Formats: sequence, C-alpha cells, structure tokens
Amino acid sequence: MTVRSLFSLLFLAAFASFASATSDYHESLVLQPLPQSALLASFNFQSNDSQESFDERHFRYFPRALGQILRHANTKELHLRFTTGRWDAESWGPRPWNGTKEGGTGVELWAWIDAVDDEAAFAKWITLTQSLSGLFCASLNFIDSTRTTRPVASFEPAGTHAALDNLHLLHGTLPGEVVCTENLTPFLKLLPCKGKAGVASLLDGHKLFDASWQSMSVDVRPICTETSDCVVQIDQSVDIVLDIDRSKRPRDNPIPRPVPNEQLVCDTSKPYHSDDTCYPLESTSEKAWGLSEVFGRSISGSCPLTEGSADGAVCLRVPHEREVHASPGAVEARKADGYTRCFTLESSTPFDLMIPEQQATAQVPLDEPVLRAERTIVGHGQERGGMRIIFDNPSATNAVDFIYFETLPWFLRPYVHTLQATITGRDGLRRQVPASQFIKETFYRPAIDRERGTQLELALSVPAASTVTLTYDFEKAILRYTEYPPDANRGFNVAPAVIKVGGEHPIYLRTTSLLLPLPTPDFSMPYNVIILTSTVIALAFGSIFNLLVRRFVTAEEASAMRAQTLKSRLGGKIVALRDKIRGKSKTE
Amino acid sequence: MATPAALPPLPFNPSRVRSYVLRLPLFTRLVLLAILVFWLLELQTVWSVVQWGSVIPEEINIGTMYRLNTYPFIHVGFFHAFLNLLALTPLLERFEAEHGTLTAVALFFGPLSTFPAGAYVLFEKFVLHRNTAVVGASVWVFLLLGSEAIRTFKSNPYFSLGPYKIPTWTSPLFACGLVSILVPNTSLLGHLCAIFVGYLFGLGFLKVFVPPEKVLRWIEGKLNLLGRLPHYVSVDQKTYGRYGVLPTTTAGGERATPMSYLGSSQRLAAIRNLRTNPHFLFVHLPRILSLVCIIAGVVWLLLLPLNDYSRQTYISENALLPGQVHAYFSGSEQHIFRGYKKELEAILEGQTPSGQESRNEEYTPAVSEKIQSVLRAAGLKVATQKYEYTSSGITHQGQNVYAIIQAPRGDATEAIVLVAAWKTVDDDLNLNGVSLALTLAGYFKRWSLWSKDIIFLFPPDSKTGTQAWIDAYHDMQPAFVQPLPLKSGALQGGLVIEYSFDHRFESLHILYDGVNGQLPNLDLFNTAVSIAGGQMGIGSNLQEMWDHNDSYEMRLQTIMRGMVKQGFGYATGPHSSFMPYHIDAITLQAKGDGWQDEMALGRTIEGLCRSLNNLLEHLHQSFFFYLLMQANRFVSIGTYLPSAMLIAGNFTIMAIALWLRTGYYTGSKQNPARPPANAEETSLRAAALTEKLDANTAQSAVTPDSNSVIERKLALPLTLVVGLHLLGLVPLYIFNNINHQYYSTATYASIGVNAILPIVLAASLTRGLTTPRDQPQLSLLIKSFSLLVLGLFLSTLATLNFSLSFMVGLLCTPLSFVNRIDPHTTSRPIRTVLSVLGLVFLNVLSPPVVLLVACSYFGTDVQTVLTQAAFGWDVWGMWTQVVVWCVWWPAWVTGCALLGFSLF
Repeated sequence: MTVRSLFSLLFLAAFASFASATSDYHESLVLQPLPQSALLASFNFQSNDSQESFDERHFRYFPRALGQILRHANTKELHLRFTTGRWDAESWGPRPWNGTKEGGTGVELWAWIDAVDDEAAFAKWITLTQSLSGLFCASLNFIDSTRTTRPVASFEPAGTHAALDNLHLLHGTLPGEVVCTENLTPFLKLLPCKGKAGVASLLDGHKLFDASWQSMSVDVRPICTETSDCVVQIDQSVDIVLDIDRSKRPRDNPIPRPVPNEQLVCDTSKPYHSDDTCYPLESTSEKAWGLSEVFGRSISGSCPLTEGSADGAVCLRVPHEREVHASPGAVEARKADGYTRCFTLESSTPFDLMIPEQQATAQVPLDEPVLRAERTIVGHGQERGGMRIIFDNPSATNAVDFIYFETLPWFLRPYVHTLQATITGRDGLRRQVPASQFIKETFYRPAIDRERGTQLELALSVPAASTVTLTYDFEKAILRYTEYPPDANRGFNVAPAVIKVGGEHPIYLRTTSLLLPLPTPDFSMPYNVIILTSTVIALAFGSIFNLLVRRFVTAEEASAMRAQTLKSRLGGKIVALRDKIRGKSKTE
Repeated sequence: MATPAALPPLPFNPSRVRSYVLRLPLFTRLVLLAILVFWLLELQTVWSVVQWGSVIPEEINIGTMYRLNTYPFIHVGFFHAFLNLLALTPLLERFEAEHGTLTAVALFFGPLSTFPAGAYVLFEKFVLHRNTAVVGASVWVFLLLGSEAIRTFKSNPYFSLGPYKIPTWTSPLFACGLVSILVPNTSLLGHLCAIFVGYLFGLGFLKVFVPPEKVLRWIEGKLNLLGRLPHYVSVDQKTYGRYGVLPTTTAGGERATPMSYLGSSQRLAAIRNLRTNPHFLFVHLPRILSLVCIIAGVVWLLLLPLNDYSRQTYISENALLPGQVHAYFSGSEQHIFRGYKKELEAILEGQTPSGQESRNEEYTPAVSEKIQSVLRAAGLKVATQKYEYTSSGITHQGQNVYAIIQAPRGDATEAIVLVAAWKTVDDDLNLNGVSLALTLAGYFKRWSLWSKDIIFLFPPDSKTGTQAWIDAYHDMQPAFVQPLPLKSGALQGGLVIEYSFDHRFESLHILYDGVNGQLPNLDLFNTAVSIAGGQMGIGSNLQEMWDHNDSYEMRLQTIMRGMVKQGFGYATGPHSSFMPYHIDAITLQAKGDGWQDEMALGRTIEGLCRSLNNLLEHLHQSFFFYLLMQANRFVSIGTYLPSAMLIAGNFTIMAIALWLRTGYYTGSKQNPARPPANAEETSLRAAALTEKLDANTAQSAVTPDSNSVIERKLALPLTLVVGLHLLGLVPLYIFNNINHQYYSTATYASIGVNAILPIVLAASLTRGLTTPRDQPQLSLLIKSFSLLVLGLFLSTLATLNFSLSFMVGLLCTPLSFVNRIDPHTTSRPIRTVLSVLGLVFLNVLSPPVVLLVACSYFGTDVQTVLTQAAFGWDVWGMWTQVVVWCVWWPAWVTGCALLGFSLF
C-alpha cells in the first residue's frame, strides 16, 4: 500500500463518517519519514455542520467568522491554499492528498460563487478576497482583475451543488506572498480546539515555518447524500516536510556549527584516514526522532470535541518491525498493510512518540509520480524571453492525459504562434513535432493591458516513456514608473502553472513560480533630473539677467534718461504719496 | 580680401573673445592684474596675504584702514579668484567705458570699496557680534550688479512671471541668494552690503563722491594721460554703455559716437585678417584642435590616478552587509576537506601507468564520478552536461558536473553559483579549490537560512566549461552543447574559487574582467575586498600587482593593466562567461606564500555567499563601468570617459572641418594674394552667394580656390569608404576560421597585403577613375568620411568598452594628420620621399604589425594569440576582432591610400 492509497482511504473514511452524523469534528495526523532525513507530517481537521443550521447562522463546529463571510459573498465552495517551498518529487515521491490540498507558491484561492452574471460574480469575488484578506492576514485583497481568471477545465466542484448554472468559478493567485506565522494563527483560530488540544497542539510557528515544504489549506464545500441531508463541510489541513536534523536542533542554539572532531563519522577503511583527515561516511541507519524533539512539544491529549473518541488520530508510517515508543496510555493499532500503525489519544493525557536510531531495514515504498513538470524562463535580455515547459512521463507503458493551466501577468506577452513542441524518447533523441500532436484542446484568453492577464489551458497528452518540451516566446512590456514595486530590480513573480491529471479523482501538480526580470528604469533618474533642471535654470537665469541688464536705447533716450535724475523722480514719488494720503483721508 | 559672408558661420567666434580681451580698458586691466598678483603672492607660505588684507571686523582700527581698500583684490584660492575675475571683467569694463578711467579709479579706490566694507563691519560687529573675515572682488561684482539693476529698473521696471510682476531691481538679490546657496563659504551679508551700496550708487546718492568733470579734464589735460597711457578711457570718451548706444544716431549732443578705442584699430584689423584667412581656419585650426584633443585625452587619463580624480570604493547596496555575520566554517570541516582532497589525489595517483611519481592531472570520468558521488552523499541534486566546441581546428570537449542546494522554503526563483574549475586560468590543477567547494557544499546544505538556491559547478577547465553551462542555463547553447537536465532560478551572482597549490596562501587575487570588457557590479568586488580584508584579514590584489604601494606609478600601472585586459576583451577566468548574461561574478585566486589556510578562504566564500544571500534585488546599485587602481580606489565612468571621447572627438572635428573645407575651400596656401576687392563689390558678392548656395553652379566648382560654394562629388568617396569597411569582413572571416597552424602565415601575408593595397588603391583612383582636377577634393572627402565613421564608431565604443576605444583611437591618431601632399606646393622628389616615409611609418602602425609588436613585447606567440582570439570569437562571443578589422583597418587603409595619392 502506498501513500496515495492511504490518503484516499482516509478520504473515503471521512466520506463515510459524515453520513451518520450531521454535525461532527474529526482530526488526524499522519507521520511518514521520507528519504534524506525528511519527515512528512499531514494534519487534517474536518468538521461538518448541517446546511439548515448553517443557513440559520447557527454554527457549532463550523467557524462563524468564515461562515459569515461565505454567506455574505454568496460563496458556495471555497478553496484557499498557503504554500511555501517546493515539493521534491524526486526524493519524496508523490504529493500528499494527490496534490489536491496543495497550492502554488504563495497564496492560491478559488471559489464557486452564486451570482446572476459575471459582473455580479466578480463583485462578490472582490468582497470575498477583501474579507478573507482580513481574516487570514494575507494580501488577498491584491487579487484584482489582472490576477483573477476563470478556469474552464482545470477545476471541478468537489461538493454537491443543486444548480451549477449560476455558479461562477473564479481563481486567483499571489505567487509572491510570503506565508508565515501571521497566517497560521487565524488558521488555528478556525479549529474547534484552537490548537490548544488535539494534534493541532503540535503546530508551532517556529517549527512549522522552518520546514522544507509547507502547505496549509482550507476547503469549504456542501455535501448532500441521497438521503437528502445536506452538510457544509470545512476541511483544514496542514502538510509539512521537516528536516529531522534541523528540527532537532535546540531553539536556543540553531546554528549548524561543524560537529566536534570526535563526533565525526569517518570512513576508517580509507588508507589516509587519520586524526585530522576524514572522509565522511554515509550513515545507513535511520535517524532517531521523537514528536517532542521535532515539534518542540508533545500532543496535549485529544481534542474533547472529537467525535468517536478520536480513533487512530495519530498514524505513523514506518515498517512494522521498526521499534516505536509511544507514551503510556495510547492504544496502538497496526494496519494490515505492514507499514501503518495508528495511535488513539486520550483526552488530557500528553502523547509523545519516540523512534530510536536503528539500522535501516525496509523502507516504506514510494510511488513513482505520474508526471514530472518543470517550467523555466529561458533567454536573456530586457526585451524578449521564452518559456520552456518540460513534461516527463516516467511510465513505460501508459500515456498520461492532463490539463495544463497557466496564468500569466499582462506585462508578459506570450506569442502563442511560436508554441513549439519537441519530444525526447528514452533514447535521448530530440525530435521537433507539431504541437498539435500533443495538444488536444486549447483554451486561450489573451491579456488586456492593466486589466486582465493571459489565461492558457491546454489539454495535453504525453506518450509513454518520453519527455515533451513546449516552448513559446514572449515579450516583456514596459511598465509605467508607478507600477513598479519598491524592489523593482528583483523582478516580477509569475504564478505557478497548475496541472490536473486524470478525471474522476484527479491528481494535481504545480510547477515552481518564476521570476521575470523586466526592464527597470534607473530610479536615480529624479536626482539626475534635478541636476539637469538646476543647470537649465542657472543658464536661463544667466541669459535673462543679461537681457535685463542690457538696455537698448537710442542716444536721445540716453540723454533723456540722464535728465530724469533722482531728484525729479523722488519729487514725483513724494507727490504721488501725498496724493495717496489725501485721497485716503478724503474717503475717511 | 575675402568677404565675411563667404565664410561658413561659426557659432562661437574665438577671435571676438580675443578682441574683447585686447580692448579691455586701463583700470580694468590694472584691477585684474592686481587680483592676479595678489593671488600669486598668496601662493607662498611665509606671509599670509589674506590675513594681511582681508576685512576682519575685530582688526579694523585706524592703523588698519587699508584693509577696507585691499580686500577686493585678495582671494582665497584659484577658483575664487577665477570666478570673480570672470564676473567682474565685463561689469568693470563697462563701468569704466561709461565713466572714464579717472572716475573709476576715484570711485573704486574710494567709496565703492570702503562703503560696503564699512557697512559690513558695522553690521557684523555691532549687530551680529560676529567676526567673519571677508575677502574678494565679489563685492564689486554685486555692487555693480546692484547699480545696473537700478538702471534697468528705470527703463524696464518689471518682468512678469505669470500673474506676478517682479521688480527688476530685485535681480541682484536673487543672484546673491543663488550664489550663497550654490557656493559654499560666501558671505551673504557682505554681498548684501555691496548690493545696498550698489543701489545707492545706482540711485545717484553717491554722485557727490564723483570728482567734478572739470577737475578730471584738467588733470587729464595737464598730464596728457590720453597720450601717455594705453587703453586709457578719457573723460570725453565715456559713453552710456557701449552695448546700448546705437551708432547711427549721432544726435546725442556734443559728443560724437565713440566707437573706436585707442590703440585697438590695428589689432582689429589683424583679427579681421585672421578671420578672413581661410587657410588658417580650414587647415591649421582643425589640426590644432585635433592635436589639443589628443593631448588632452592622454593627459586626462594620466590624471586619473591622482586623489582628486579617483574615489574610495564603498558598498552601495545596503542589503549586502559584508562581514556582518560570523563565519562558522572551521573545525572538523578541515578534516573533511583533507579527506576529500586525499580522495581526489588517490584518483590522480591511481591513474599513473607504472607507479611513477608523475600524476595524471587530467579531468577524467573517474574524477567526475567521485565529485558526483560526494555531492550526492551530501544530499544535493546532481547533474552533468557534456559539451564540445571546435575552434581553429581544435576541439575542446568536456563534461560539467554541477549540483544544486535547493533553498529550504525557496521556490527556485533565484540562485547563486559557486564555480571550482578542475584547471585554473593558468592551467594548474585546482585540487584545493575543488576540495574546498565539495566541503562547502556539505556544510552549506546543513544551513536553513538560504533564500536562494546555491549551485556548485565543477567544469573541467576555466575556458569552456562555464561558458557551455551558462549558455545552456539560458537555453542559448550551440548544437554540440547539451541542455541542462536540472535548473534553478535567475542567477544573482557567481564566485569562482581557485587555490592551485599545497602551501598556505598570503592574499587573494581578485579577477573581475569579463568578455568584451564588461565588468561585474562594483559592489560585488567591494564586498569581496571588504570581507577578505575586514573580517578575515586577508589582503586583496588585483591585476597581478603584488607589491602595490599606492604610489602614483603603481596606480597608473594597475589602471593600464586593467585597460589592456578590458581592451583585448578576452575572458580572464571562468567568471567572465557570466557577464554577458548580466550575472555579476568574480574569481578569487589564492596567491602568495603566507599563513592563510584553505579554511580562511572557505570562510571568505561563506561570508560572500551570506552577503549575496541577503540580496533582495539583483545587484544594480553600484557602478558597472569603472577603472580600478587599487583594491579600494576606483574611477567611475563619468570621470574617465572624456579621455576616450576626446580621442574619438579629434577624428570627428577633423572630419567636420574637412567636410566644410570641401564645400568652401579646397586649395592650400598657394595663390594667397587675391585681387583686393573693394567693399561694395564684396558686399554684393556676399549677397549673391547666399542665393547661390542652393544653385551651386558648375562654375564655382571649376575654380576651387575662389571663395564660392563648391559642388561635392560624393559617389566615389562614399563608395570607397563603405566598400573598405565591408572589405574588412574578409580578414575577419579569415582570421576566425582558418586552422590554427596557418595563423602566423596569415599575419605575415596580411602585412604584405597591407603594404600593397593602399598603393594599388591610390594608383587606380588617380590613374583610372578621376580627373586631376577632382583629386584634391576627392582626397579630402575620402578622408572626411573615413574619419567621420571612425569618430562615430570610437565614441560609441567608448561607452561600451572604454579601453578598446582608447587604444584603437590612440593608434589611429596619425590618420587625422596624414593627407595627400599637394602637388602644386611640393616638388615631385620631395613628395615621393615624404609619402614613402609616411607610408613606412603608417605601416608600422598597421593592425597586424601592432599585433606582432605587442606579441613580442608580452613574450607570446602570434599563433597562440590568434588561436585564443578565434576561440574567443567562436565560444565567448568576443568582438574585439570586429573593431580591429571593420573599424580600425579600413580607416588605416584609407589613411595609407591618401598618402599613396602623392606618389602619382
């Protein structure tokens, strides 16, 4: 059994559980050591409230703050993702939850909004982003029309909706958003136990955001069964990949100083090995770790609101022969697949796990990812560039069909006619083929400057055991100077592309985000302008002064002027003054 | 005598300035002389003139009243004196011309200097209770401005600025305010006092101090001043401003219009002669100007090392924070370093065929495998890239190994590159450098603070590997270079580590020159110097200056070495390949024998990586164009650029002068005596000529020596110049594409061709294509176009590659002065001898001969140099050859052909 199948199992279990109760809460934690001393921890929190109570604004487990926003914004289904880092599929295998609870780097949000037309939907969407921005302390309010798209084929509603006609799907990303503790705190506030009890008590900002990869998700959807009971489900999850070595470092001394000489693990078989020469030996044993070591604290008992006494809330995926010490009182249940054991927590009893160092025996097998995708910007220069997307199908037998969805900012202007495809087989030969051979369907919505970005959705098929490379050229627009961010020379983030593989239970992949360097003006220019203006003013002053001082008179005028002595002028002034005073006194 | 109208209009007339200076009246001259003398006196250190003569409020008593008169003549420095002189001369000259010399003497030695000083002292001492000394002629400047402003106010009371009417008398106040803002250490109060007195004078309140005209006239008559003193302005000659009085209206009263000044009429005539001497204007003046430009350009460059023209380096980008973090790379990491080094050495030893001592230092697949395995064990993503380049029949191939530390929480948007080539720039084994990079890879992997990916690149050599890698990174690679299987984000900086010996090192040698003279951002260099010197205590060298004592000679030598490298434009190290992609990179070479070990170098690299990691934006704050003369001194582009621009400008000046000359005056000195035309005829001709400019009658072309407009025959010269520039593509192709063993042959062949080609060209032009009558103009036009193109290219090039432009410009300077020797003035044998001598001289300065000489000077082989150049063209994208063959060589051939004309 594999990770993916386990997660689908959990998924199905979740499906089964809500059928019995209309209002309940579940939480779970799955821990799985990964190669290279990494540890995947998947937290999942799921609560249901019945649709009637939701409509009557009677919330039990469903967070009121979010419920009110959703009602206000007419949002029927919501998906919000906060992600940092990149999933290393080469080492870590397929993504948790098949990538369905994961977003691109930064913040990603998509929602189905009930509205009469596109305009109304967009107005509600803006309401939604503004409100969520406040709720989650994220810059979601920056999702404006240029960052909003309406995907056609990439996303399907996960919930049950009565009438799909009036539902509008809107999608927005903020690839540059830095996810940090200020987003985690409101996230935990939404939980019934607020991170004080249950598995959520492990979620400490310091450890969570020191992870190599981390993703938080919030999914809200209505679920109806044939028996007519409708529930509104909120599903929150946190997935992190921790570096065990790094997490075990004490918080007051986190610097990875060189180890003391006596702790070096050396290959003593080398002929040159001596006290001062050491060829490091690759460690073959599994590292020791414990929950409190890695997370900095232990689980403070189960959340009392959990229905059904929290059966198997914490699951660990290591081979059964691996030695595991759990806190006394926890009930261990081993699954039949040979790799999973789950522990049932007791309320108000702290729970901890200790896994001692042990020689590596069997490893939990990791699935081969169905598809590898890489997207990079190629070329150089300020004016043009190119996009290169590589799809690699590792399967030797099956072709893989998927939808490729990317949104590009308006200042990146793609030339779709330059879209070209090359295919490389396992023999390493590159062949140029028409792109239409792989692209079955295209949905392209060109950008409008400063109004909306480019939206490109391709239905692609990559043959077995081959690598397909798509390339297209683009041009970089020149922005107005006020449109540059303060750190203009860093470049601009381009949102990751989303890849949806399969139909019924899709697998989602996301590429890394990109950095697009745009032609940046020299912002010291104002200084130069001041200097230039000063020079011009100095020159102008000189010539104006010259004109003022210089007189053009005829000789007669000159002599006449000589006659106009100070005496007569002064006399005139005095007369004028006298008149003035008189005039004044008269009016008085 | 030629008419002025026949001359082309000159926007600035130097002769007018000269005549103005020559006509300055007596008192003005004396004042200027006094100021000059006092300035010179101040230069000695024994007796302080300023202390003696300035107005110091506390020092003023009966015995020191002289100060009230002396202070305007005394200045505190050259610029003070110079600026005041400039401002004072026109004002004082005008005053004197208006009031006469005697009045000026009386006023300026009397009330006009004592009154402002008195007012100032009163104010300063009794109102403000301060004691600031004032000195300088600016008091007179403002006084005269004040009086002039009052007079302006009388005739023209307001100037309106939008709805506001500003009285004109306020203009000196504006000037005073502006001066006190712009110029430091000026006395606002002193100037205000002067303006106040100026106002009083302008309003006529000081008229009582003007000596009565009768007395003046009596003195003048008794002493016969008018006859004895040159430039004396008589009481009778005073005017109401030379500028204002229109000379035609003489109804002013008893005085005639005094337009001429004593003793100046002869000089005026001389100036007029000069102006109307077209030979001087068209032939000598451009030569003088060109020569001045060249000399000024060279002198400018020689001034740069002085403290006044160079600057101390500084860190411009605040985010870098060099040396602000503690470097932890030490301790047991050194054991690991030794382990890696022994491991690599074992591979080298293992390949010896028969256990000999000689090691195989080549980069073999085994080495590559070992590097990959070490990197993989450290947890990095490893990939390889094969490449192959062919240039001049030599194939360069190899395999790059590189590995990426993916930044934790990073999203592959930015990256830093660390390069450790297996072979250094000097082709030594870089074993310590590679081992250090491997150790650093393992060490860096443990840190979680990286915001950028770190790429470790291990190319097999310093010439090709990095280029192949960086090209492929941007997907710009040629056919025989593999694309990269693994990539990261935009590269923000590159560091190359070189440590090619086993003992400890003394200092770091920093290489920074890129291909085609591109340079990395100065901030990167400064950061390296600052971290090495400030934090680690490692000295920094540049341009192989090992014992730099910061003297002028050493600084100049450093600049020159930098310029030679920049001018040749070849890659000086693996870092050079990064520059065309706007990635800043430097090479750090461990040099010398000292007490710094590899750990110190490692800590320096760590510090640099931490600094680069701090960057929020691409390096852009500091300079991209600079000349370094010491690790902490540089000259920026604004300061050094005029040097190359002056050299390039000399060609443009000559080209424009020749162009004008071909239109107006093609002759030489012969036949200077033209029938003197009377004034009436001249003016008639002048009027007619302006109309003729468009008509351009054939008749005027027939008589080249007349002052008429001549028709220019452009087709042949244009074709020739353009054709020669295109012909440059032939040697360019040959020298970049033939096999490397033929390069010396090709060089000698090109010397031969160079010797013959201009003569053949000259012969065919004189014998076949033109008539003798057209030849003077033809040669001038060819030279004009050729120099125009040369000047254009070189001035553009100066902004891109200053050094190359400067060097080519300097080598081309004789071309400004060579010309077809006029057959009318010089007899045939002399002509032949002169032109043959000239041709020999020019052939010494031909591109291939210069190359040979440079090669023998630097002690290298021509074949090696040309192979390297072709390699640069093929691999690095170097375009020095283009400049040599398509800019320099055509200009040179044209110059030789012009001399060749004289042979026929």
